[in-house]
Amino acid sequence: MIKASLRGLLHRKLRLTLAVVAIVLSVGFLAGSIVLGDTLNNRFAGLFRTINQNVAVQVQPNDDRTETPARLTDADLANLKVDGVDKVSGDVTANGFIPFRSDTGKAVTAQTTLAVGVGPEGDQLGLVEKRRGDWPAGSGDVAISANTAKLAKVGLNDEIKIFIPRLGEARTYRVSGIVGFAGGRDTLAGETLIMFQLDHAQKLIYGESGLYQGASFSAKDGVSQAELKKRIEAKLPKGFKATTGDEATEEASNSVSDQFSAFTIILSAFAGIAAFVGIFLIYNTFNIIVAQRSRELALLRAMGAGWGQVIGTVLLEALVVGGVGATLGLAAGIGVGAGAEAWLSSQLGIALPSGGIVVSLWAVVWSYVVGVIVTVIAAFIPAVKASMVPPVAAMREVVRPDKSLVGLSIVGAAFLVLGAGLLFLALAGVGSLTALLLAIGVVMIFVGVALLSPLLAKPVVRAVGAIVGRGQAGKLGVRNALRNPRRTAVTAAALMIGVTLISMAATVAQSFKTSLTEILGGDFGVEVMIQAPPTAPPTGEAGFNPSAMDKVKQLPGVTEAAAWHITIDAAVNGTPAFLAATDVAVAQRMWRLETVGGQLKTLGEQELVLDDKMAEANRWKVGDKLDVRVGHSSKQYTVVGIYKASPTVQGPILGLPAVDDFAGKLAYQGFVSLDSSADVGWTVAAVEKIMEDYPGVQVGDMSAYVEQTGQAFDFLVNAITVLLGVALIIALLGIINTLLLSIVERTRELGLVRAVGLSRGGVVRMIGVESVLIAIFGCLLGVALGIGLAAAAVKALIDMKVMTTFALPWTSLVTYVFVALVFGVLAALWPARRAAKLNVLDAIAYE
Amino acid sequence: MNAAARAVDVWKVYGSGEAQVIALRGVSLEVERGKFTAIMGPSGSGKSTLMHCLAGLDSVSRGQVAVGDTLVTGLSDGGLTKLRREKVGFVFQQFNLLPTLTAEENISLPLAIAGRKADPAWFKTVIDTVGLGDRLKHRPSELSGGQQQRVACARALVSRPEVIFADEPTGNLDSKSGADILTFLRRSVSEFGQTIVMVTHDANAASYADRVVFLADGRIVDEMSSPTAEAVLDKIKSLDVMTGADE
Repeated sequence: MIKASLRGLLHRKLRLTLAVVAIVLSVGFLAGSIVLGDTLNNRFAGLFRTINQNVAVQVQPNDDRTETPARLTDADLANLKVDGVDKVSGDVTANGFIPFRSDTGKAVTAQTTLAVGVGPEGDQLGLVEKRRGDWPAGSGDVAISANTAKLAKVGLNDEIKIFIPRLGEARTYRVSGIVGFAGGRDTLAGETLIMFQLDHAQKLIYGESGLYQGASFSAKDGVSQAELKKRIEAKLPKGFKATTGDEATEEASNSVSDQFSAFTIILSAFAGIAAFVGIFLIYNTFNIIVAQRSRELALLRAMGAGWGQVIGTVLLEALVVGGVGATLGLAAGIGVGAGAEAWLSSQLGIALPSGGIVVSLWAVVWSYVVGVIVTVIAAFIPAVKASMVPPVAAMREVVRPDKSLVGLSIVGAAFLVLGAGLLFLALAGVGSLTALLLAIGVVMIFVGVALLSPLLAKPVVRAVGAIVGRGQAGKLGVRNALRNPRRTAVTAAALMIGVTLISMAATVAQSFKTSLTEILGGDFGVEVMIQAPPTAPPTGEAGFNPSAMDKVKQLPGVTEAAAWHITIDAAVNGTPAFLAATDVAVAQRMWRLETVGGQLKTLGEQELVLDDKMAEANRWKVGDKLDVRVGHSSKQYTVVGIYKASPTVQGPILGLPAVDDFAGKLAYQGFVSLDSSADVGWTVAAVEKIMEDYPGVQVGDMSAYVEQTGQAFDFLVNAITVLLGVALIIALLGIINTLLLSIVERTRELGLVRAVGLSRGGVVRMIGVESVLIAIFGCLLGVALGIGLAAAAVKALIDMKVMTTFALPWTSLVTYVFVALVFGVLAALWPARRAAKLNVLDAIAYE
Repeated sequence: MNAAARAVDVWKVYGSGEAQVIALRGVSLEVERGKFTAIMGPSGSGKSTLMHCLAGLDSVSRGQVAVGDTLVTGLSDGGLTKLRREKVGFVFQQFNLLPTLTAEENISLPLAIAGRKADPAWFKTVIDTVGLGDRLKHRPSELSGGQQQRVACARALVSRPEVIFADEPTGNLDSKSGADILTFLRRSVSEFGQTIVMVTHDANAASYADRVVFLADGRIVDEMSSPTAEAVLDKIKSLDVMTGADE
């Protein structure tokens, strides 16, 4: 039996090729994303190994958010220099010290903008090496890395302008030295590095001299990291912990790993979608192959093969096909992952030396699990079908009457209803399994619609066929698309999945854009917006100095100007929260906030206002005292007012005194009201001038803001479309596959239509129309389903006061149908060529 | 009077070297217009190959083939398509109907493909002659073998080609259905002046023809006018003895 089945496999290798290609694509995508993640991680692990190469022990404050972090003093450092310590380096470091370019006057864009304090001896642990000039000796001097010099276009002894976050303004320094890193590198990872004289750095970063946030120690020869750690731990001041250099490297690598794993998980989700689409293609392939060889299988049965053996032969084929596909996919994935990693690193400006390609055991395991399981699942139903063919029936001429679609449709409807139910439960936010419910619900909806699609195929294909099926060749194509609705439907369903997700994303994005226009187009007193760089973390360390708003207020025509501070490092009654701080009285006038309870006024210390939804959900009322943690400080706040939540303003708002507890004192957003005499364009330009010293801060009128946000959404939709590319290509292969297999089945008919006068072009048109119909049917299903899912999601978002309106992206949706048409034509090219080249005589005589 | 189809010194060679098979060895044949010609011969005599070459379904290795005044030899695929649309009709052994079309749609398929309108009177005549009556709206899968073959005959007839080529049209039918088909083909010739070339190995079928051409080993070895079943059968037997074929 095994031999017979393997021989059969070789015989059909051409027909199985596309199934293998589908597996290769989905496995390749999956393996590629895992390899990409692992290889990136390895590259970063290499970075941290370099940074900690001479560090035997590191001392850092305990990660305790509730208290002001402890600092080390010079006395502490001396005390910690235990026996076995070679060198000590006190740690004075901060981010957000952005240099300006000398030529354009604009801020340098870099992922990380470091500032470090350095003593007259330079870096004690030898990571940073002086190249030219001197270490900074005075408070007006800085040493900068070669990369910083290149980016800011400055040289030794030139002046350099640097934004100082604590001051909320830029200052000018003299470049006293140029430094590099061990190994002759200009940069570790594309960052900028500015080294201030130690005492000056302490004042800039902590506000007073003599403080360090930690320290690193190198060991004397013969003293192990663990031993040194033990000795240092014995002398540690309260609030600090010690780690060995190796532990610190691992910790840092892991934290970067976590960031990349989110990225890898998203890619893997899209790979999963591609694999799901692959199931349809493989199912169809096996289904058609089994149907075509039902006589052969019946012969095996007649010769005494049990039904288990028949299922076995088909599943064995599936195993081999899946195994081959997974192997090739893994190989392709390694190549793709390595290429993507190199490309991504160069795009992100991660100037790290490559650590080599990493293929973890997981990449291998997942490739085979997905490749083989997907194929076996897809082949299972055809295998069972094959085993149920009665031997005598199949030995006669193959007769395949149209089977009733009732049973199938009932099951499909059940899946659809259950899936929709789960979806609504998930959107209503039931329990902690929301994401899982959502995924299961959506998959069930897909399966349901796929099962219902044969029923829909007839009317839809007829209607579309009336438009595209011109001429006799076209009519024959329409008939062919209709003759086996299940096959047409399964093939189309593969395309439907990708189109659904894209349409859904586009519809949600469009709804969001329209809502935003509606919201901001409302009757508000805001004409100009000021916005911190969108890439900056909203913790007050990037943005603009609120004092700049005083200058804005002086501009002619400006009636009010308010700065908003935000922080995500906060909690209310122990629950993490996103907090804003502003002058609530001004906000009330600008955004027309509606008072629900208490009073909306300029808040004093330890006072806050809430939106009504939040108050209701938590049963908080005016006068309640809440425990609010902001950064490292926890205080009791009193609820003084409750306002009506709207898409523009929601959540807890504190008064400006609370900003003292924020990690950074910079404002994240600013809003400006103008009187009717003011020229918006002129004001925007004037505000831009005021803000030019704050790196990355953007100024615009409301329409510019709406446009920018719209572009961000378009980018997101495009990214999703690109990520779904593999799923779409597999669906395209599915159409090609179905057409090729159908052509083999209909060889005699092709011979006949040629014999009665259909030209080669006619054959091409006939197959082209069938292909286009399948593609458009799949696309229409996808668009309809995508709109449906988007409607559900938007409804939930409207209930959450995030959006106001559901809107359809007409241009995009029409484009999708047009692209499906092109897809259909493309898919038909190869099969149609094959069909047109058939020898008429051979075709007619084909058995 | 010019012939409806003509073969002049036609050779057909398959393969080369050791595996070379010569199917036709210099066959010349004129198919008379308005006559029913049967081509007979034992298996491997080249009778089907001759018909395929005459119909332009297969190319010749040497010699010339013409249908009406169209030289078939050397036609491009486009020219062959035009030939099939305008000058020839086919009836095959395995019925060969499109399962997606009704009987009526199958009959009018060649006209639809060529973009021509059926002459309603002629269409009705053909339909009446073929005697399908109420089964015209049925799909092929709902028709018996005899009915399907009648649909195929009507399809060949409806575009009034110069020649209809029938390849063992009764080969897959029982004797009663086969007789119906042969009667129908005979009437098409007698009443409508249709030219038909039929390949068969059945002496009884050949007796419906006006003329029988006998092939053996790729050559025309004999022919007979106004044949009877007995005479044809005797002829075949003598050919079998001569070639040693065992059919």
